[in-house]
Amino acid sequence: MFRIRLHGRGGQGIKTASRILGTAFFWEGYEVQDAPRYGAERRGAPIFAYVRASKEVINERGIINRPDLGIVADESLLLLPVADVLGGVTEHSVLLIVTDEAPGVWKKRLNLKGRVFSLSSKVIVEEHAGFPLVGAACVGAAARLVGVISRKALEKAIREQLRPLGESIIGRNLAKARTAYDQMEASAGCVTEREEPSADSYETPHWIDLPFEEAGLSAPYIHAAATSLKVETGAWRSLRPVIDRRRCHRCGLCDIYCPDGVISLDARGYPHIDYQHCKGCLICLIQCPTHAIKAIPEPGLRAKRHQGRGR
Amino acid sequence: MLGTGTPTCAGCGALENIKIFCDILGEKTVFVNAAGCMTLLTVYPFTPFRGSWLYTAMASAPAGAQGVRDALDLLIRDGRLAPEEYLAVVVLTGDGTAYGMGLSATSAAIYRKLDFIYICYDNEGYGNTGYQFSAATPYAARTATSKGPRGYRGYKKDLFAIWAAHRPAYVATVIGTEPADLARKIEKAKGLRGPRLFIALSPCPTGWQFEPAKTVEIGKLAVKTGIWPLKEYLDGKVVHTRIPPPRGRRPPVEEYLKRQGRFTHLFSPTRNEEILKDIQASVDAYWEGVI
Ligand SMILES: Cc1ncc(C[n+]2csc(CCOP(=O)(O)OP(=O)(O)O)c2C)c(N)n1
Ligand code: SF4
Ligand SMILES: [Mg+2]
Repeated sequence: MFRIRLHGRGGQGIKTASRILGTAFFWEGYEVQDAPRYGAERRGAPIFAYVRASKEVINERGIINRPDLGIVADESLLLLPVADVLGGVTEHSVLLIVTDEAPGVWKKRLNLKGRVFSLSSKVIVEEHAGFPLVGAACVGAAARLVGVISRKALEKAIREQLRPLGESIIGRNLAKARTAYDQMEASAGCVTEREEPSADSYETPHWIDLPFEEAGLSAPYIHAAATSLKVETGAWRSLRPVIDRRRCHRCGLCDIYCPDGVISLDARGYPHIDYQHCKGCLICLIQCPTHAIKAIPEPGLRAKRHQGRGR
Repeated sequence: MLGTGTPTCAGCGALENIKIFCDILGEKTVFVNAAGCMTLLTVYPFTPFRGSWLYTAMASAPAGAQGVRDALDLLIRDGRLAPEEYLAVVVLTGDGTAYGMGLSATSAAIYRKLDFIYICYDNEGYGNTGYQFSAATPYAARTATSKGPRGYRGYKKDLFAIWAAHRPAYVATVIGTEPADLARKIEKAKGLRGPRLFIALSPCPTGWQFEPAKTVEIGKLAVKTGIWPLKEYLDGKVVHTRIPPPRGRRPPVEEYLKRQGRFTHLFSPTRNEEILKDIQASVDAYWEGVI
């Protein structure tokens, strides 16, 4: 059985990408399961989806713990523990990362034993209303890496799943997927099905006994105010708004329009952004009348910090 | 006032509204919240609210508000709560609830002259479940359940008129991207007693399909093009609080529509002149009736 896990951020089309990949497998005669997994979080938050494909009946359920192929549509997720992109990744697992750094850099940085491939992050910048192209590129590359999906089945799956979005969006996605498919030609088939674990290797869960609590303790009452401050939604951001003080006229519009209320004004009226919670919507950037706010990519920043620490 | 770290989408126009409501209403509030995107604001053990919050089923938030109001009033009457500890009861629901399955409970609460504030954040569809159409969805919009070449075949219900027909203390349409107008209306309602109701248009990047950065731009265009009239009902009279320039001088409504993915089928592969004309004509007719 092929077990493939796709990681991205809400809004990047990961759910649809998994559906396309599953459909392509289906047209090649596979039994397929595909499902997205996310909680209350929204656009920008780390999410994942997974695909199982097998020539036999699939009895396995639930999330995939040990992927044969891991797809990472947003490299910043690799440095985010909560996203758990590397969970269950072994020397058998192939990783496909959307990044502008060489696969070798990531292999070393993350101490990976398996093979790593990269796709240029240009697809993210070219995003466009409709289905984000990064998903199509990932699916195209994945289809070739598993080696059992023909170009025809891939294209049929894309057409089928994106039909409501119209011909022009389908065309752009097809083009992205084809390019990525061709790019992986030399490595076709390098993702292989892991040997199925035998029943003997089953480990019983480590049960924990929980005492029975009084209703007053165990009911979900929240007694404190604004506990949401503990949730670091700053991790959702792929672009970071940065304020250039010299251009800021202290009008305060960024503060007024920020839906999340993460901008505050200091005693002199200069705005400050709370990066622990800023989700990176960039409304402030568009609303600033003096263009004092610019956006810089988050992963670059993080990588730089990383290097700094090494020195 | 409203805490950061909420799970709403980046650029959520509903949150933009609620942030301002919370700033002005303060922490002496009990929010009674029907199922929808904003229910996720409070997911145990996290809440952005500084006052209290209670969850109800979609159809019954105003009934929940009645129970909370009665209980608080009894506590004050019996001296178990000081009068200074008065808490405002605030119903918070989406349009799916307000325009649809919660309308009957709201009608009954207004009829009973319940002392409460109702905030309907109107993202014009069932956002939390993947953006299916609701009775607030505008004509021709694409939703998960209106995917045909002509989009949604129904028309947005006139909830303002329906609510106002009950003669409550106050009704207003607002939008978070016009914060001065919104703040003035909340202040006004805060000084009144009885049913006070708000319909807050909430540009929704996820359901309306636009980049989160454009929430404010799109909200402002909704007002400028005249498709979202800002008005209030008080003492039996309806007053428009912002009047766009007359026909011909105000931007055409397609400036608003073409920025949203849910209307792209009206522009490509070919322009659907008929539907675009229909939408413009209904906006023009509205304002002719006003001026
Ligand atoms: C009686 C009932 N039916 C269906 C649901 C499932 N449900 C949860 S949220 C939601 C959408 C509500 O739409 P709206 O009120 O517009 O709020 P939004 O999600 O757009 O914020 C639905 C249908 C429910 N909770 N209760
Ligand atoms: S779906 Fe729309 S209304 Fe719901 S949280 Fe996201 S942006 Fe806000
Ligand atoms: Mg809604």
